[in-house]
Amino acid sequence: MNVKKKFKGLSDKAVGWLFIGPTVLLLLAINIYPLIYAIKMSFTNFYANKIGRVPEFVGLKNYIKVLNKEAIWEKMQVTASFMFWTLLLQAVIGLGLALLLNRKFKGNELLTTLIVLPMMLSPAVVGVFWTYLYNPQVGLFNYVINFFHDFGSFDMIGSSVLAPWSIVIVDTWMWTPFTMLICLAGLRSVPNYLYEAAEVDRANKWQQFLYITLPSVLPFLLLALLFRGIENFKMFDMVVELTSGGPGSATELASISLKREAFEKWKTGYSSAFAVILFVTIFGFGNVYVKVMNKIKER
Amino acid sequence: MDTSRSYLEPSSFSKKIAAAIIIVYTVITLIPISWMVMTSFKNVDSAISYPPEVLFEPSLEGYVNLFTNRSRQSVEYLDSLPAPETWYEELVRSREMVITGPSKFLGRYSNSMIIGFGSTFASVFLGALAAYAFSRFRVPLKDDLLFFILSTRMFPPIAVAVPIFIMYRKLGLGDTHVGMIILYTVVNLSLAVWLLKGFMDEIPKEYEEAAMIDGYTRLQAFFKVVLPQAMTGIAATAIFCMIFSWNEYAFAVLLTQFNAQTAPPFIPTIIGEGGLDWPAIGAGTTLFLLPVMIFTIILRKHLLRGITFGAVRK
Repeated sequence: MNVKKKFKGLSDKAVGWLFIGPTVLLLLAINIYPLIYAIKMSFTNFYANKIGRVPEFVGLKNYIKVLNKEAIWEKMQVTASFMFWTLLLQAVIGLGLALLLNRKFKGNELLTTLIVLPMMLSPAVVGVFWTYLYNPQVGLFNYVINFFHDFGSFDMIGSSVLAPWSIVIVDTWMWTPFTMLICLAGLRSVPNYLYEAAEVDRANKWQQFLYITLPSVLPFLLLALLFRGIENFKMFDMVVELTSGGPGSATELASISLKREAFEKWKTGYSSAFAVILFVTIFGFGNVYVKVMNKIKER
Repeated sequence: MDTSRSYLEPSSFSKKIAAAIIIVYTVITLIPISWMVMTSFKNVDSAISYPPEVLFEPSLEGYVNLFTNRSRQSVEYLDSLPAPETWYEELVRSREMVITGPSKFLGRYSNSMIIGFGSTFASVFLGALAAYAFSRFRVPLKDDLLFFILSTRMFPPIAVAVPIFIMYRKLGLGDTHVGMIILYTVVNLSLAVWLLKGFMDEIPKEYEEAAMIDGYTRLQAFFKVVLPQAMTGIAATAIFCMIFSWNEYAFAVLLTQFNAQTAPPFIPTIIGEGGLDWPAIGAGTTLFLLPVMIFTIILRKHLLRGITFGAVRK
């Protein structure tokens, strides 16, 4: 380490702060400051559209209101069920596709790239064009379903029974490649000698899958699901454009509900309390996420 | 059992089955995208015909409608006009309408470009500096700082949108390009730092140490030795940041209206007579998605790394 003394120019310590400083400052200004501001507002009866009115301190009233409101729990339930089905479908289909792609047949690189395309697209724009596919009069989706079995006329977005499934389908279509790619990396990380040893021990293919493949892929699958979990907990853009939370509040996820409270009813104090509660939940997820990620890196 | 091949190599039969299933999945998954592209080349009537038309006479009506504003006129008025000079005027005339001017699409599209490029440049530049420091120096509380940077990405945009809205209103940054560039830079910073740190970790320390023994300062060594070495990583990171800014919707819809609005909040508002103008929306969507698809193909080798913030590298 004493070699460093010989070098000219700024000391490493100075360069270090010079390099990290701007990033940290910017994050503090545009992310942490707003967050603290939101926490502050969550203890007041502030309305952002009423300029000039002095907000009063109301203590924990907003939090108590949010947590006691039945509608909030309904929204949490909508969010939870959306997360459950999308994560389940994406785990099963994604892992299945990864296992197939891992057979290294000719052309699988090209096919992988094509399969991945949906997840790179703008979720809001995806939401818009799926409203066309789901259109009960002229939609391709409805036509294809009726081609295989005639259900008559049905409205994926307009019916409160089908609407939750309409967003699950689009999310699964869009994000299954994500789980697939990560699982594929997991499969490729399994060293060949494990299978060779298993063959020597006369383990059959099913046992090999159960005792070698699955445990190796599991941390990768978990990472993918955690990531999707966080993203789907915050889900906003695709669903706003597809169903805008409707019909009624059948697809009103937590973020959409928050937007309605904050930017349509302008209940800033109340919605800030709601935002803080959501943030704490996500932060919990995030901690687990980083632990899993570090586990994977150690391998 | 065929003993000539390795135990581990899947049989050619199982490979064929796997390939067949994957091909079917690929075709199904691409149908929605292809359908949107096809719709952009339909005329308004063929886009709303049932059963949906797979074979149709191609038309550029969607693209014309996307780029123009039109108004309906009486037949007498249309007859009194001089003959249309261009093919697109003729197309609009045939619908008993006249072009009243260009639409907002081009402006929104260039907003997306300006904000996308601006924020990408800023976040990659700042991210590269921070990533280098994290990769090479002993930074106090390094892991906590890195986690802090990552955690900012987990904020639901709506949760911080109200304070940012109020803050921007006070600073006069609401609905401006600069405001949006700053905002997207900050959102992308976490990705840029984490990805670039991974790429810089892979560059041997010995390179810049050799340069410094030759008389370079630390800063010179960074700019002249490390940055060129990290170019692939920087390019990949830049594309990821660009795609994020390009696709972002929540902040754009809440914080911009007239001046700095990007394409994603605009495309859904394209309305024709009697409902949404599907060929025009299709055209807007196609033009909007095209760059992302090209970028995805360029990026395919680094895709995994990008979507997992550098956690999975292979």
